Amino acid sequence: MKRKTVAFFDFTCCEGCQLQVANFGEELLDILAAIDVVMFREVMSEKSDEYDVAIIEGSITTPHDVERIKEIRETATTVIALGSCASIGGINGMKNSFKLEDVQSYVYGEDGKNYFETIPTMAVHQVVDVDYFVHGCPIYPPEFVKILKYALQGLPYTVKDEAVCVECKLNENECMYEKGLTCLGPITKAGCNSWCINYGNICYGCRGMVKETTKNASIDVIKKYDIPMDWIMGKFDMYNKATESEEKK
Amino acid sequence: MEQYLILFKNDFDDFVERLAKIQKLVAPVKRGSKSFAFDEVTAAEDVSLNYIPTILPPKKYFMPQNETIVEYEKKQNKWEAILYSEAITLFGVHTCDLAGIQCLNLVFSDRPNDVHYIIRKKRILIIGLECNDYCDEYATCGLMDNHNANGGYDLLMTELEDRFVIHVNTVDGEELMGKLAMVKPADAESMTMLNKMRNKKREVFQPEIDIERKELKPLFEESFQAEVWDSIHEKCLSCGNCTNVCPTCYCYDVEDEIDLDFNKGKMVRKWDSCQSRPFAMISGGENFRPERGGRQRHRYMRKFNYPFEKYNRYFCTGCGRCSRTCMAKINLKETIETLIEEKK
Ligand code: SF4
Ligand code: SF4
Ligand code: SF4
Ligand code: SF4
Ligand code: SF4
Repeated sequence: MKRKTVAFFDFTCCEGCQLQVANFGEELLDILAAIDVVMFREVMSEKSDEYDVAIIEGSITTPHDVERIKEIRETATTVIALGSCASIGGINGMKNSFKLEDVQSYVYGEDGKNYFETIPTMAVHQVVDVDYFVHGCPIYPPEFVKILKYALQGLPYTVKDEAVCVECKLNENECMYEKGLTCLGPITKAGCNSWCINYGNICYGCRGMVKETTKNASIDVIKKYDIPMDWIMGKFDMYNKATESEEKK
Repeated sequence: MEQYLILFKNDFDDFVERLAKIQKLVAPVKRGSKSFAFDEVTAAEDVSLNYIPTILPPKKYFMPQNETIVEYEKKQNKWEAILYSEAITLFGVHTCDLAGIQCLNLVFSDRPNDVHYIIRKKRILIIGLECNDYCDEYATCGLMDNHNANGGYDLLMTELEDRFVIHVNTVDGEELMGKLAMVKPADAESMTMLNKMRNKKREVFQPEIDIERKELKPLFEESFQAEVWDSIHEKCLSCGNCTNVCPTCYCYDVEDEIDLDFNKGKMVRKWDSCQSRPFAMISGGENFRPERGGRQRHRYMRKFNYPFEKYNRYFCTGCGRCSRTCMAKINLKETIETLIEEKK
């Protein structure tokens, strides 16, 4: 199999997901043997305008971003959204809870705001077609490798539409609800091997929600455990605001 | 072979240490604030004798959560079945879980039998531990008649004041006790204590739901249209916890994991849950059980209706794990009670 050329691009994000890839260690060598990286700002200075696979990190938040992502889509045969900012809008989606003008003056000040155009935060697939989604904030390295393998073989990959709880139980963690804490595991898409809970933290829902979000049932659970509603809505909004009203990928 | 032995509690530390020296010893240990899990132990202080059913049942030793079953090299057209087993002593298995293992044995030895399971099972030695009282309010082992052991173990221990009485049920169990060289045949006093405790148990354990066991099958058979499934539909989050923790759920998926050289790879069997939305989805996107209520109904039918037809046995052991783990508080006892009410 001829090695595919791969380029990394970043939009609005913290570049933490690319850093995850750069930090892979030994596994990175295996990956580099399978692909030909032509652009990856965090690890090399070379650039290229030609590539087979475009790995996109970050959300689309300016008119310029829209133009740029469209061009990338035209060049690449395969587009992979890397990390929650790209795959579901992620943290940047919080912007969509406010009026755009307010956000602009808050960030750039009354004088500066007119120099920087802005639009509501969008995930990559809300602008162009995306072939593969690597969810997570940050991405879970084993899942990235898995998806890359699917992409290189041209096979379809769908994130299994089941809850983080499934993986959490298989790892035999004590449930956070048992400890009197609350956890977004039951409504969050699996695939991270219940990463946070394995290390003693709750799930914050960084991978986006399962397709069939069971709103009534969730509210029921929240009531049963005396969890304040705005607390949980804050947690929902933290990652899911940009894609809350759409059919989930 | 059938005989009773005694072990005084003073000697329990020594007993555990010796067991651990013979082969890998697995026992209930504390996990988190209120939960327990089966895990490897080397000393008595690690073992929780007084425990409520573990997060996952002992089935994880018979069919691990992730189990490589085939390794392959595509170019060489080489395919190899991976048959792995490990000698394990499983200590402290409650009687409800003994019943769970018996159910899985039935399923996996049914034709075509599952060699991966059977090979593991052959090398697992089971030491049961009888419950003298209820673990908690979720249990329905009295109704399901699993509060006492109905076979399925090599050795069964019963705690009595200052000692344990050990029932030897198999040659393997007898040999293990021989190797320990520290337990004596039970005397008349110990046998009297055992009988007294068993008599008391008859009063402690009563059917937890007002129904005869044989009536459960017809109850479920006629419950397809019951309203309870609609209310469960509203409550359930489809998280899959109830099936993953169930000692008799055995559904799995097989995933192909290829290396980055795109030649070598393996096939891994992973537990699957009928509560997940894609479980009954087929190509074209059609889903046989798109509704959460329907999926829960299916889970119950797989405990109280279908296995009875196939194996003449209920596949609910009464361990209470499904109710204990459900954050939506869907409760097996309440579901059955509601069905009984609806039928009236
Ligand atoms: S800790 Fe969270 S993810 Fe794990 S089972 Fe409980 S709710 Fe689900
Ligand atoms: S456990 Fe939840 S917050 Fe943590 S990585 Fe997984 S989806 Fe994200
Ligand atoms: S544990 Fe409860 S909420 Fe989760 S799938 Fe089972 S019944 Fe539904
Ligand atoms: S259905 Fe519930 S109570 Fe019955 S065996 Fe399964 S987990 Fe235990
Ligand atoms: S369900 Fe019954 S047999 Fe099982 S642990 Fe509880 S009391 Fe013991």
